[in-house]
Amino acid sequence: MTKLEAKNIVKYFKHDSHRLTALGGVNLQIEDGEFVCLVGPSGCGKSTFLRIVAGLETPDEGEILFDGKPVTTTGPERIIVFQEGALFPWLKVQDNVEFGLKMAGIPKEERAQISKRYLDMMQLTKFADSYTYQLSTGMKQRVAIARALVMDPDVLLMDEPFAALDAQTRDLLLVEMQLIWEKTKKTILFVTHNVTEATVLGTKVAVFSNRPSTIKKIINVDYKRPRLVEDQNLFPLQQEILSELRPEVKKS
Amino acid sequence: MKKITLTKQIIFYVALVAIWQLVSMTNIWPNNLFPSPYEVAEDLVYTASDGSLFFGIGTSILRLIIGLAIAIVGGMLLGIFMARIEIINQTIGSLVLGLQSIPSVAWVPLAILWFGLTDGGIIFVTAIGSMFAVTIATYTGVKNINPHYIEAARNMGAKGTQLAIYVLIPAAFPYLISGFKQGWAFAWRGVIGAELLFSFLGLGFLLNVGRQLNDISQVFAIMLVIMMVGIAIDGIIFKRLENKVMSRWGLR
Repeated sequence: MTKLEAKNIVKYFKHDSHRLTALGGVNLQIEDGEFVCLVGPSGCGKSTFLRIVAGLETPDEGEILFDGKPVTTTGPERIIVFQEGALFPWLKVQDNVEFGLKMAGIPKEERAQISKRYLDMMQLTKFADSYTYQLSTGMKQRVAIARALVMDPDVLLMDEPFAALDAQTRDLLLVEMQLIWEKTKKTILFVTHNVTEATVLGTKVAVFSNRPSTIKKIINVDYKRPRLVEDQNLFPLQQEILSELRPEVKKS
Repeated sequence: MKKITLTKQIIFYVALVAIWQLVSMTNIWPNNLFPSPYEVAEDLVYTASDGSLFFGIGTSILRLIIGLAIAIVGGMLLGIFMARIEIINQTIGSLVLGLQSIPSVAWVPLAILWFGLTDGGIIFVTAIGSMFAVTIATYTGVKNINPHYIEAARNMGAKGTQLAIYVLIPAAFPYLISGFKQGWAFAWRGVIGAELLFSFLGLGFLLNVGRQLNDISQVFAIMLVIMMVGIAIDGIIFKRLENKVMSRWGLR
């Protein structure tokens, strides 16, 4: 079943007086439960595309269909995780995780039950009462993921969530992310500029061209999980993606 | 470190009082214009013993609290609307900047005509003299919120009043604190100034009585009290609040 469909998404940016075409007609179809990674040269508009799917920005042309219905605004069925997490520093970890539930008017006891499950899943239980400034970058990202999962969204939108992490923490989270996906069966759209990350995580990797961006190629990654960063079997795919990307990076 | 600072301060104030005593003993200025510290202390004890001092302090502080509360609530509301709705900023925003430049005592004639010689008039002067400082701090604070906080919150279903209470106000809190601090300082000046001119109870009234009776020690004594109340409120309430917020928000 098709969960998300992007139909000819065009987005312009005003740059002083002239108009820049960031997205030049992006078409993408995502089935329920797929893990799709979006890679592309920096500045190609892959994050903008993700924000359009989240409903935080509107396209100048084209439309996003979610379960066949056009997306007009942001909503809890499509939750975005930002690169720096965007956790609320005035709330404890648990209250951060419960934020969306509170907005939905769910009573305190019920919120605590739900959040406990995800705090456990992300190994955050003993940090439940910490404030975010007390956490490492990796921990913050775990909280951000827990906060998104608590909403039980149909689609998880991740905007380079591991870009600011050190290599060891990232490798650990790459494995955990696969487990989470297998456990929750969410549809995931994951923006990254890291080809290895994309092949480790994705069932599909969509390669963006340089501006005005379109999707140049979609590569399927059929390989057993959990995949590790050092998996030799992924190398040929990574080479293939890199050979698609290289000319685009040069153009930018 | 703290102890050393305190020791220095004690030495400084003891020396200051000693110099004051010496100067008053030389009789450079006549005693009815420049009292000795002993006379001022005597006056303080006298006004304290008949209760008029504490009644004056209580009256002024009560007016301060009510006026400042009105200023904070009104100022925050106005500031949030200015930051979030452009047309309000362009219209009312410019007026706020103008109103902010009016010293609070300049509102006194208007307050007397509108409210008569009542508590309401003094509270009006206090509130209006401090409200726009809170408004401007709130506006700046909300404008400077990390946009990802607002996007994440909207994405998780927060909107309208919920967004304001659970995200905009706490996210702007570091700015709000400085607005409250500034607001309180304006409010304290406003209360005393208004009481002087209204001549209707409070510390400002006692100060004016001192002038009318040519009682220079009372004038000195009440000014000292006004200063000490100021130091106490700043130290007890605002310093603590600021420290807590700064560490919680990870700004220290």
